[in-house]
Amino acid sequence: MVGSKKGLTFRYLIAFALLIVMVFPYLYMVMNSFADWTQVDKKVVPTELTLRSYEWLFSGGEAGIARPWLKAFFNSVIVSTASTALMMVTGAMVAFALAKMNFRGRDFINNAVLFQMFFPAIILLIPTFLIIQNAGLYDTYTAMILPKAMSLWAVFMYTNFFRAIPDTFIEAAKLDGASNFQILYKIVLPMSKSITTVVFLFLFMERWTELLWDMIVVRSDSMLTLNVLLSQMFGPYGGYPGPMYAASVLLTVPIIILFLFFSKQFKEGMQFTLK
Amino acid sequence: MKKTNGTGWLFASPYLLYAIIFFAVPLIWSMYLSFTDWNLISPVYYFKGFDNFIEAVKHPGVQAAFFVTFKFMAAFVPMVIVSSLAVALVIHGLPKFKGLFLIGFFLPYLASGVVSSLIVKGLLSHNSAFNVFLRNFGIEIDWLSTPLSALLVVAAIIAWKFTGYYALILTAGFESINKDVYEAAAIDGVTPSQRFWKITLPLLYPALFTVLILSIGVSFGIFTEVYQLTGGGPNYATNTWQMEIFKQAFTNLSAGYASAVAIIASVVTFASILIIRKLLEMWGKRNGWV
Repeated sequence: MVGSKKGLTFRYLIAFALLIVMVFPYLYMVMNSFADWTQVDKKVVPTELTLRSYEWLFSGGEAGIARPWLKAFFNSVIVSTASTALMMVTGAMVAFALAKMNFRGRDFINNAVLFQMFFPAIILLIPTFLIIQNAGLYDTYTAMILPKAMSLWAVFMYTNFFRAIPDTFIEAAKLDGASNFQILYKIVLPMSKSITTVVFLFLFMERWTELLWDMIVVRSDSMLTLNVLLSQMFGPYGGYPGPMYAASVLLTVPIIILFLFFSKQFKEGMQFTLK
Repeated sequence: MKKTNGTGWLFASPYLLYAIIFFAVPLIWSMYLSFTDWNLISPVYYFKGFDNFIEAVKHPGVQAAFFVTFKFMAAFVPMVIVSSLAVALVIHGLPKFKGLFLIGFFLPYLASGVVSSLIVKGLLSHNSAFNVFLRNFGIEIDWLSTPLSALLVVAAIIAWKFTGYYALILTAGFESINKDVYEAAAIDGVTPSQRFWKITLPLLYPALFTVLILSIGVSFGIFTEVYQLTGGGPNYATNTWQMEIFKQAFTNLSAGYASAVAIIASVVTFASILIIRKLLEMWGKRNGWV
């Protein structure tokens, strides 16, 4: 249904208009982070620009409400990277077993994964917190990483993708004496680059923007992730919206750059997942 | 394939460990706690039988959570369906820039709920450009302190986040429809409304069904935006299950009681999604779409 040339121009106009509306909140955030403090939230497009919000954020502003924003950024990087890496390794391993290995109990595990995936996770929140606390992990990176070291969604995605890989590749490698780990690492995963990008981006993004869990297992200022710190500053920085927008830029821009960097593979990978 | 019992279990072992430590144990522990009056700190606690459950059902916060979820769904699902359908209708099959659009519309999905809440709080602050503009027409709304608008604002933020993602699914749905069908229909003199109801909708139904199920699932897991903007208020108008459980467990420290609420929430969520899913399937079948 491409339609006439006139119709096409019209659709492009609407598409660009919609796109601007959809990315407007981001533009609003960036503009306000550079806006003169008299104009923050007062103008749709600020006319006077300043770096004061960023300086204030990093120098700590008035005594008493300085916060370790860079440390928080660093914490977010550590937690999100470690957690995502673990989720991808465990996801690929389990999926390889489910898709390409024949062993007693496989169907049971497959069903268990699906059941757990659709199970309302809220019921697990309090006891999972207690497990972490009793293990002496409260207020550590491990507390934020370990309960999120596996993603059932990643297992599900990888399993579907691996099933589409012909067994002949695997049989041939086995005849050459390759171990299962070698087959997964050297044959199956290189064939799964596009899906790996999709899984990576979704998992990393979700981990980067997690609030509830990271908020309840950490107490020290020096351990907070950037997302949690920003959340906690809603009140104390209430009178300083400029620096809050600057902190939001610090939180949002890296994930957007990461996404744009992988956007080509992402599009390819999504083709598969949307089939 | 020959049987590879040992290595199969070895590769599946991360899941087994995870399922025991972070699923089976918490599940049983949660049920155990729900029968106690434990306060998260004290070494002493007592069993209360089903008292927590009875108390929960009578509690306005829990009753609110039950209804707010469905109200939220009634606002969010149509919003996100209309917006993602609009985007997909406009961009599917475009000869150029389609990649740019797909990526551009997906960007909101990357937003942290904390950041989008902050932006919306700024956009709706008392002297924001938007509110000053409305005041010219004599419209004065305290967006987050009015029950209905607070709910709609939260629904809109989440609809914004998911629109691009769902549009991606619907665009793929549109593009899977064979163009010949439309040409054949045009020859047969089919009207535009017939074309939509009899051709496009049935063929788009699988993609639409996916989006409906996903968006309904989202409705049961709202926390960040509500925590950030309303704290569940005003007067419980945006009090979601997660919000209620968080408040009871980690603010009031009523771990036993909150576990009972979490169990109720899980049962309600599981049953609701199952029932809605069945209804959607029946609806599709009755109309001959599936």
